[in-house]
Parts: sequence; C-alpha cells; structure tokens
Amino acid sequence: MRNGHADDIATLVEPGRVHRRVYTDPDLFELEMERIFGRAWLYVGHSSQVKEPGDYITTDLGRQPVIMVRHRDGSIKVLLNRCSHRGAKVVNDRKGHAQRLTCCYHGWSFDTDGKLATVPVPEGCGAGFDRDALGLARAPRVGVYRGFVFASLADKGPSFEDHIGPMQGNIDDLVDRAPDGELALDAGMHRYVYNGNWKLQVENVLDSYHVPFGHASTVNKQGVQFARREGDQKGATVVEAEKKQTAASWKDRKSFTVGNGHGWTSNTTLDDGKRSSPAFDEYKRVLAEKVGAERAAEILTPRLHNSLIYPNMSIMGLNIHVRVIKPIAVDRTEVNIFPIRLVGAPAAMNFGNIRLLNVTHSAASFVQTDDLESFVRAQKGLQSRMSDWVDISRGLGAEEPDRATNATRGLATHEMVVRAQYKAWVGYMREAA
Amino acid sequence: MALAARELLTASGLDRAAFEEFLIHEARLLDERRFRDWMELFADDGTYWVPATPDQNSPFEEASLFYDDRELMKTRIERLEHPRIHVQTPPSRTAHIVGNLVVEETDEAKGEYVVGSTFIMVEYRDDAQRLFAGRQRHRLRRHGDTFRIVQKRVDLINCDGAFEAMAVPI
Repeated sequence: MRNGHADDIATLVEPGRVHRRVYTDPDLFELEMERIFGRAWLYVGHSSQVKEPGDYITTDLGRQPVIMVRHRDGSIKVLLNRCSHRGAKVVNDRKGHAQRLTCCYHGWSFDTDGKLATVPVPEGCGAGFDRDALGLARAPRVGVYRGFVFASLADKGPSFEDHIGPMQGNIDDLVDRAPDGELALDAGMHRYVYNGNWKLQVENVLDSYHVPFGHASTVNKQGVQFARREGDQKGATVVEAEKKQTAASWKDRKSFTVGNGHGWTSNTTLDDGKRSSPAFDEYKRVLAEKVGAERAAEILTPRLHNSLIYPNMSIMGLNIHVRVIKPIAVDRTEVNIFPIRLVGAPAAMNFGNIRLLNVTHSAASFVQTDDLESFVRAQKGLQSRMSDWVDISRGLGAEEPDRATNATRGLATHEMVVRAQYKAWVGYMREAA
Repeated sequence: MALAARELLTASGLDRAAFEEFLIHEARLLDERRFRDWMELFADDGTYWVPATPDQNSPFEEASLFYDDRELMKTRIERLEHPRIHVQTPPSRTAHIVGNLVVEETDEAKGEYVVGSTFIMVEYRDDAQRLFAGRQRHRLRRHGDTFRIVQKRVDLINCDGAFEAMAVPI
C-alpha cells in the first residue's frame, strides 16, 4: 500500500473477511489519519466539560491536538492546539479555564474564538503582518447534539445531521434517563492504552460473541456475571451453568446497523423489575415525578446495551459511559472512558454508577483487562504472514430489516456490525481527501 | 510531626517497627500472590483505593483505578483464581519495596493509626517489565496483637496517566 488507490483499498475488504494489513500496515494507518480521521465527524467532548466562557479541555482528533473551549458568546469552539507563530502546542493541560490562550514560547495570545489577541514586541512585526490570518486554526465544521460536540476537520463532506442523524435516538436514550434531561461528564476519566490497532477496540464494543469466553473469569459458577448497574442484585446470565454453554438469552441478543459504520446492540438479558436499591428506587421516583410515570417506565425499559458512533466513539447504556478511541500508531491505541452523571438523579445513584465503572472499565477493571489482552494478542498474531485474512463472516446473509428502528438487524453474536464498519471504512478510504 | 507521633506511640507501647513489619508482611502476601490472605488483612469495613487523579477527594464523585470494598475484593480475587483470566496468562510476578514509613496519625481511643509510606512495585509479565511507584497511606485498626486495614490508599505518581492492563493489586 503505497498510494492508496481505490482499487488497492477495495482488495483489502471482502464480504466475509478483511486482510490483516488493515491492522498492521503503517502506510494504511497514515492513510486512515488522512481519509478517516482527517474528515469524518469525530466526537470532541461534552458541553458539560466547558460550562463557563473560558472553560476548555484538550484532546486529539486523530493526531491533531485540539482545544474545545467555550467562547464569550456561549458557543463552543474547536481550535487546533498549535501556535500560529512557530508551532508550539498552546494549551498544555487537559482542562482548565483562561480568558486568553497564551503560547509558552514567545507569548502570543489568542482569544477563546481563536483570534490572535496580542503579540509581544509588536513593533517587530513587518508591514505585511496579517493579524486576522494568524489566529489558531479552527475545525472547519462543528456540530452539537444534546451536549455531545463533534467536529470535522474537512470543510466538505456529509453534513452533521446526515452523519449523526441515525444515532440521535441512541443519544436520546441515554440523555432522557437524566431527570433534568442533561448529562454531566464531570467525574474524571479512565485512560488505558494497548499495543494494538484502534479498530480492535472499535470492533469489540458491539461484539457480544466474545463475552462468554473472553470474559469467562467474570462469570460465576452459576453462569452469571457480577452486577454491573446501580441497583442490580446480580448481573446478566451469560452461560448456562450446567451445560457450560452460552446462555440462550445471550445467543438471542440482537445487534443493529444504520449505515455510516454506526450500530448498537440491544439489551435483552438483564432482569428488569428486579433492580432495586434505596438510591435506584429514589431515582425512579424522581424521574417519574419529572417526566410522568408512563414515560419513566419507557425510559427505564432497557433497549440499548452499547452504541457505536463510527469511527471512534461509543456510548454504553449498561454501565453508563462515553468512550473515545484514539489511534496513536498502527499498533498503539489510547482509550478514554468518561463516567456519566445523570443530572437530577440522586447523588447516591450517580456515585454507584461511577463506582461500578471502576470495576468494569478502569485500566484495573475485571472486564476491560481481558479485552486488552485479546487486542494485544490479536496484534501479535496478525504479524503472521502465513495467513493473511481475518474472518468476519458470522451471520453473513442472515441480516434482516428492522422496521421499528429503520435499521438492519442481526444476532449480536454474529459479525454484521463489524462488516458494516468495514463498509464505512472502505467508503472513507477509497476516496482521496 | 514525626517526633510527636513517636512520643504518642511510645505512650501506647507501639513502635514504628510494628507498623513496618505489618506493611512488609502485606507487600509479601501480594508478591507471593496470596490474595486471599491479603484480603483477610482488611477489616470487614475495609477499602482498597487507588485514585485516578492526584489529591483525589472522593472515590464516589470521580473515577478511580481501584475502589474495592471487601465484596468487590472477593470478586476480584475469585477472578484472579479463575483458570481463564486471560490477562494473567501468564501471571504477573511482582516485587514490592516499602520504605520511608511515617506514623502520621494516632487515635488511641479508636485504636486507629495512619501510616504513610513510599513504595516501588516492579511487575514482570509476558516479556514486559514495568514500574509502579508512589505514596501509600494505611489506616490501620488494632486487632489483637496485630492490625486490620481500614483503608489502603495508593497514590501512584502517574495515577492520571494511561495504563496498560493492570490485573493485580498494587
């Protein structure tokens, strides 16, 4: 892969398999940075992280360092974190507050909309010095849906609505659980890294096939996982204890795809109605008070387990969090996981959710650690040149339309969602930026 | 501070060596993968906390690397004993060293003591070696002629960094 011709890209993805080079080829990774991360709508952050004018966070979109900052007029700006003078990263902390963003090197300072504000020793600037052209570069397009901020680094391409539209219901599903109708991502973050390609984590978030074996160590002798939600007395039944087989309820789980690489899995196995704790009962009462009993019952009926907004963001509805998958190199990936506070819910309920997330998704968790091991071993195995193809054919041809959600439906233990991701991948990759 | 603590300790008949011996014993149980014995060092209301930010105030309002009560500790250890814990195939080998011990607080009425120390843990697994270091604070409660841990808080110097999978307690 030297030039990324459309024909070369197309040979890497077949209906039921992908070539190992999509995980191991550094040239393909460079092309992904340009053609996917250089133009797709990417999740940047949540509006609750920048509540007041001057509040900012920093992150990376692909390999582009960016600042997400609240401007004086209340709008959220996504600025490239690179001084327009000599190129130094301007903001060096992960979050903070500032009236102006000032570069450490020569002291150029920028307003929170990116405009160049002051330059030390201005008399040194020549006659042609164009202050207006020397602001911090801005992401050409920014879109916000219910507090979730996305940006595209390309000025053209599918609109925000086209990209995110099919997933708005998934965002609603989560946000509506907050009695006040808003979320707060203000409870810190989990950060983990692994020596493997970014797509290994992306493929994993909607993979229900791996759970009975990959997470066997989290399943007790009765075949039940530990409780993963505030108020649950026990977790989901994953294995039929006597036969030591994947439980029927697990096999029946569904997954859905809606184009653009997006998808989700349904949540069909958790015993609802058996969920109770003082905090959870109080939450149910508050929610019903705010939105009415009927709507509260609807909101509390589990529908979505995990959603993927392609290419690199996921929302988990079970132990609620936002996940951002950050490619660093072809074989190195960082993942950031943000606990979610449901605004208006009892503090004890939010505390419970934050605590449970430690044991499911911290770098030291019971669940995520076995996934990380699988990703690392996949990257090692994929070095083999004796076998070039990765099989993603489970359920190929078994997909069916789902009229209720206007999506395509398959079993969650199939690999339909992975095939959908590669369809989107080819779509981005075969077109020159 | 250190002097005052020593005076108090002398008054209660406890010296620094008793605490030091306890912490060395605890570290040894971890290094020998005797996780159940390690858990038994904790009081029934004991917690093990590894914050994810420096100076973290609360294990409830923010993400932590670990925040286990006895029940979660038990689940964690059952998993560590499970034959299919992939992230421990092969298992980690660790070596702890604990030092710079200071008795920071004593409460004779409750029989509770807070002991601060500095630790280094080297972990080797699957061809890779890595280093963990930081400060730890043990809140200990007198229990017969030994102690039970009311809380062990481990403040890693890189607590807000990005970690590869961590399977064993620090």
